[in-house]
Amino acid sequence: MTPIVRDLGAQPLSGAAHGEIDAAAARLKRRSQKVLRRSLHIRTVDTGSCGACESEIRLLSSPYYDFHRLGLFFTPTPRHADCLLVTGPGCRAMDHALLSAYEAMPAPKVVVAVGACPLGGVFGADRYTRGEITDVVPVDVVVPGCPPSPLALIHGLLLALDRIEERITLQEGEQ
Amino acid sequence: MNEGESELTLAQLARNGASSQPMVSDLRMSAAGAGDLVAKLAPIARFADMFVRPAEQGLERVLVFADDQSGGYLRLICPLDESFPVPLSQVLPAAYQEECELYELWGVEPGGGKPVNRVILPPSAETAEPLRLPGGDRLSSEVRAPHVVQGEAIEFPWGPIRGAGQESLYLGLVTTGEELLDAYLAMFHKHRGLEHRMVGQTLARALFLAERCEGLGAVGNALAFARAAEAALGIAVEPAAEVTRCLALELERIYHHIGSLAALGAATGLSVGQAEAEILLEDCLRLNARVFGHRYIFNLLEVGGVRRGADLAALDSALDRLEARFESLVADLLATNSYVDRLEGAGTIAADDAHRLGLVGPVARAAGVATDLRRTHQVSSTSYVGFQPAREQAGDCLARTLVGAAEVRESLRLVRHWVRSGTPLQDDWAAPGPGQDHVRGPAEGLGWAETCRGEALVHLEVAGGRVSFARLRPAATRNWRAFDDALRARNVFTDVPIVEASFWLTVAGFAR
Repeated sequence: MTPIVRDLGAQPLSGAAHGEIDAAAARLKRRSQKVLRRSLHIRTVDTGSCGACESEIRLLSSPYYDFHRLGLFFTPTPRHADCLLVTGPGCRAMDHALLSAYEAMPAPKVVVAVGACPLGGVFGADRYTRGEITDVVPVDVVVPGCPPSPLALIHGLLLALDRIEERITLQEGEQ
Repeated sequence: MNEGESELTLAQLARNGASSQPMVSDLRMSAAGAGDLVAKLAPIARFADMFVRPAEQGLERVLVFADDQSGGYLRLICPLDESFPVPLSQVLPAAYQEECELYELWGVEPGGGKPVNRVILPPSAETAEPLRLPGGDRLSSEVRAPHVVQGEAIEFPWGPIRGAGQESLYLGLVTTGEELLDAYLAMFHKHRGLEHRMVGQTLARALFLAERCEGLGAVGNALAFARAAEAALGIAVEPAAEVTRCLALELERIYHHIGSLAALGAATGLSVGQAEAEILLEDCLRLNARVFGHRYIFNLLEVGGVRRGADLAALDSALDRLEARFESLVADLLATNSYVDRLEGAGTIAADDAHRLGLVGPVARAAGVATDLRRTHQVSSTSYVGFQPAREQAGDCLARTLVGAAEVRESLRLVRHWVRSGTPLQDDWAAPGPGQDHVRGPAEGLGWAETCRGEALVHLEVAGGRVSFARLRPAATRNWRAFDDALRARNVFTDVPIVEASFWLTVAGFAR
């Protein structure tokens, strides 16, 4: 079953929520070092978002969240990416670009669907959009919200690391 | 002008037209008559929109012109079965984008054999049906404007997937090396068919879609939609709800312009300035969440009013500190020569071009064009008392930054005035909504709002409480039109992100 992240960003951040950010951040860093033995690299693809998810993604590297301190980085090429962050309802004109980006990523790789759009929560399937991006690429983690806050995105990346760890374990078992 | 011929004025034309709602006049005429009139209107009116809609007999074309002197809109309506003797964009260059869109949506050719660009349909589609006329004559892929890159120049392709957190679009940068010679944009990879989706929906559901036309402009687009619906249904909005809407609109403008500063910091490589702006941006988003329950102020507006009141105490307590930190940020940025040097002279748009292309919002105001609906097209006489629009003349990235800073100051002044002067504001969870009395026969309305990026227009037709036709024209639709012009103005490759950050438009708004 695809893990679903609870969106804490819908409400103003309380002191407890700040504590939760720090705890999640520390956990994320430990997992990244354990699982990958290096930082996690993220490629983003917009398949028709309204732009709000992109704004929250940009803020991941802002001083409040500073995800670089956790060993998380954006990468300009899918060749270096472990994780594909996908926003938008899967506009059909983006099918080719999205699939190309996914196929260009090395294994093990995960796809994180960001926001209500890629889950089919805003637009249905018709001649313009897919409705759900699972028709184009397999989705490992969904982060709902319209848009999900940067904190919810960090939670989603934590779950993505779990998935990568599962795949590495699976690969090692097969060998 | 011939001797004895009286000077044509918009006010005079508006008086001759039929009035479908306050501040809107309609003139019905033949295509030939409209073609003549458009040539006379071009220098004195701002071209705002053109669309095609179903009428009782076939289709008809609607051209919308804005009067930025005395306020109001003039609509020229003509039957579609008559074509213009010359392409409209020959006298009205701003209309070329609409000409291209109308061809793909309705199969309407511009006239005069003028080639059109492929804009909405996916580039890979060889032929296709018009999107809004299923079963219509198939469109030919041969009909497209020449796009030739030759000599020592190459077209450097960038997109549709771009950098982290950037919206998808294709940008073809034509260069011989460092200097940018030309740029081609393909913007409709993200086309979601919002107008098509609205047809048959309830007003509440359609407003939900209008809000998501541009997430970073949700209030402005939803406000234009709500006003169009209210004009169609004859709903009067309570003054307290109207001021609350304006309050949300100004909070949106504040975070939007600060977001532009953060993007400019990133584009110029000024990490400290970027970080300072991002801290302020995050604080603004958290303030929005405290005041209106959502970081981007979604789900606040409703046809007939607002869904909830503002948390005025939270807003009041944050204003002074926000303003002080904003002023400190702007002062530091403008005192940094390496930053200012990158903005000065980059991405310049001349005032004539701004008018010719029908630009709106901060991009137009930075080029010396006086257009601001908050001054000229006020819906309520009490909301924007003493409002002063910002204006610069240079038209470059620095001018746009200065206009943005001045607008944040003015927005903060307005917010402070509304919060502290005892202006009645919505203070409850009242949800007026259109009652059954308002669900009636066919009606239409034009709605507008000065969003953070400029004028947004919505033309709406309703019947039986549901949308029968919708046309969205966010500010991004007009202003992206000037982006390639700005890039051609003696820029180099690394100026592209700076020009984009200073425009700070959304692709979503353009692609709808």
